[in-house]
Amino acid sequence: MTHLLIPMLEGTLVSVKIFFFTLLFALPLGLLIAKAKQSRFWVVRKLINTYIMIMRGTPLILQLIFVYFAPYYIFSTSFDRLNAAIIAYVINYGAYFAEIYRGGIQSIDKGQYEAGKVLGFTKAHTFFHVIFPQVIKEIIPAMGNEVITLVKDTALAQTIGVAEVFRVAKTASAREFSTTPLFIAGVFYFIMNAVVSKVFDRMEKKLSYYD
Amino acid sequence: MSDNKYIIEVNNLEKSYGDTLVLKDISFSVSEGEVLSIIGSSGSGKSTLLRAINQLESIEGGEVIICGDTLCNNNNLILSNEEKRKIQLHNGLVFQDFNLFPHMSILQNITEALIYVLKKDKKEAKEIALSLLDKMGLKDRAAAYPSQLSGGQKQRVSIARALALKPNVLWFDEPTSALDPELTGEILKVIKDLAKEKMTMVVVTHEMAFAKEISDRVIFMDDGIIAEEGTPEEVFDNPKNPRTKQFLQRF
Amino acid sequence: MKKLLTILVLAIFSVATIAASGAKENQADVSLEKVMNAGVFVLGLDDSFPPMGYRDKNNEIVGYDIDLAKEVTSRMGVELVNQPIDWSSKEQELATSNIDCIWNGFTKTDERAKVILFSKPYLKNQQILIVKNSSPFNSLEDLKGKSVGLQGGSSASDAMDASPEFKASLKEIIEFSENLTALMDLEAGGVDAVLLDLFVANDNIKRSGKDFRIIKGSLTEEEYAIGFRKNDVALRDKVQSILQDMASDGTIAAISTKWFDADISVVTEN
Repeated sequence: MTHLLIPMLEGTLVSVKIFFFTLLFALPLGLLIAKAKQSRFWVVRKLINTYIMIMRGTPLILQLIFVYFAPYYIFSTSFDRLNAAIIAYVINYGAYFAEIYRGGIQSIDKGQYEAGKVLGFTKAHTFFHVIFPQVIKEIIPAMGNEVITLVKDTALAQTIGVAEVFRVAKTASAREFSTTPLFIAGVFYFIMNAVVSKVFDRMEKKLSYYD
Repeated sequence: MSDNKYIIEVNNLEKSYGDTLVLKDISFSVSEGEVLSIIGSSGSGKSTLLRAINQLESIEGGEVIICGDTLCNNNNLILSNEEKRKIQLHNGLVFQDFNLFPHMSILQNITEALIYVLKKDKKEAKEIALSLLDKMGLKDRAAAYPSQLSGGQKQRVSIARALALKPNVLWFDEPTSALDPELTGEILKVIKDLAKEKMTMVVVTHEMAFAKEISDRVIFMDDGIIAEEGTPEEVFDNPKNPRTKQFLQRF
Repeated sequence: MKKLLTILVLAIFSVATIAASGAKENQADVSLEKVMNAGVFVLGLDDSFPPMGYRDKNNEIVGYDIDLAKEVTSRMGVELVNQPIDWSSKEQELATSNIDCIWNGFTKTDERAKVILFSKPYLKNQQILIVKNSSPFNSLEDLKGKSVGLQGGSSASDAMDASPEFKASLKEIIEFSENLTALMDLEAGGVDAVLLDLFVANDNIKRSGKDFRIIKGSLTEEEYAIGFRKNDVALRDKVQSILQDMASDGTIAAISTKWFDADISVVTEN
């Protein structure tokens, strides 16, 4: 059994790496994109909208393949597999997060901005101290959903040869002539998502001190 | 502040939404320590006027001078954001819907600007905020959040928040319109007390009896212009403009 | 729909590969030099294809192809790197130089030879049918009106398409994404037979100890060969010549016996 668990744990580590780095970069990227969508310049808005449409309108698997293989045809170099995977996930999830941020920002009453203005706050201060904290509370349910989806989406990285846990499980299954490894992989995803759900529940609770 | 005797001076102010002119040739002034009420029906432009002078709406023409600082004139004056912010600090504004920050305690609502705009240290800011809350009778609720308070209490916090920055003039945009009738009284009392302290104030309101009682001067607005102006006795008891008479008949 | 789009993108890339390789025709062939300078030869495989290339109990990559490759690279003086890839992207992995060859029970076909440079075949394979020992089937004819499972997108699938009379005689063909699941269904009685590579079948019966046997008759005969980039002639030739040396000095015979209990290699001697 141990000979089975060690490669599974290695695969799990890869999946967690993808998950962690994607969040690390996509969360701020999403906010940047959401803000860019509010730009005064028509060209910027159009570019951002097109980008979001493509990201949400094409399968992530396709984007993975593109990010990994296309650079060779354009620049004659390739990214390392894991890096390519993370880049693809970040660009994709950045778009989804951007839309969630946007929805949250739009739900904030205009009066909050006005109160900041008449008190002499700079726009930046109003955004980070007044608006954004309220946005976070607003978007937690939607964000929780996306993050859980991300945990499961990490399995797609096998398409470009990344040895994440699902791929390792498939290989082990073929070798052992049994589905036990696949079942174990399922348990991994379940535990990961249980942790994610718990974290988001806690955040929601913590922010319920006001209505 | 310069020797300009007026706290607020407005000359020939014009404002439009797109092609529609909603404020036409507005001219008036406010002296130090004066209480000015602005009355009129909905759509008369009274709130728009208040918001425009407080930089919440654009101004398309005319001159506005606040405590000697020119906000706009007819010579295409361009101000930096920093300059505009400085001018706005002469004004304090109390909104109809309070606009308190829901994620901060009422104490924090007041200290926020003290710390970040006036650059006070936290200890001093807290002291100032607590004394203001005390004045409003809410010192023991300092740690409460806006959602836990009544409408009247929230509005009192709004007033404290605006007063914290020691503005030269305090503007009220229909301060009691969002409150249940029984809570209106407590706010009117606060404003009355401020008037006794000689705070310069401009109050846009529907409360006619109140306006009559505390104002030094009253402006009646109708369809984007100042239709009548004068002392409370002149405007309420002897209105010259038939439109004024028509409006007052409803009360 | 997603699969369709994926295939579409891969197809576009394949066309781009052909176009790109066409443009490079007149350049000098530095394929062998590159590998020697890098000191590394990257072998691309689907690491769940026993006995050609797969992971053993210690999660090491082993197999008949791997043993051959180990010996070849050793004689070349470079390090062998086994790179697991997604089988459906193998042409792209090769074209974008993420791997130097495809060596994993890779069947040579005329279609593939248009975009890939093949070595000479090193093994002959057949697509055969595996059934439960207890079943009454002994030949292809016995499977008339029965159901057959196979791995979608594999050589087995191609072989079935290339045998229209046999195909028509069946009740149904069930596609699985993996041989494993096809064989599980065989055990459960969901299908009557599974069509797959002779080598995979033999290995499966040997190592799983399951009660299967292979029935007489095959659908197609195939050849396994090593796939290289179209322009990497020098590299292919070097590998090819070393394999032939190995055939002459009996090394291949030993490796073949280790895996198949007999010397079934078809590599010609020098």
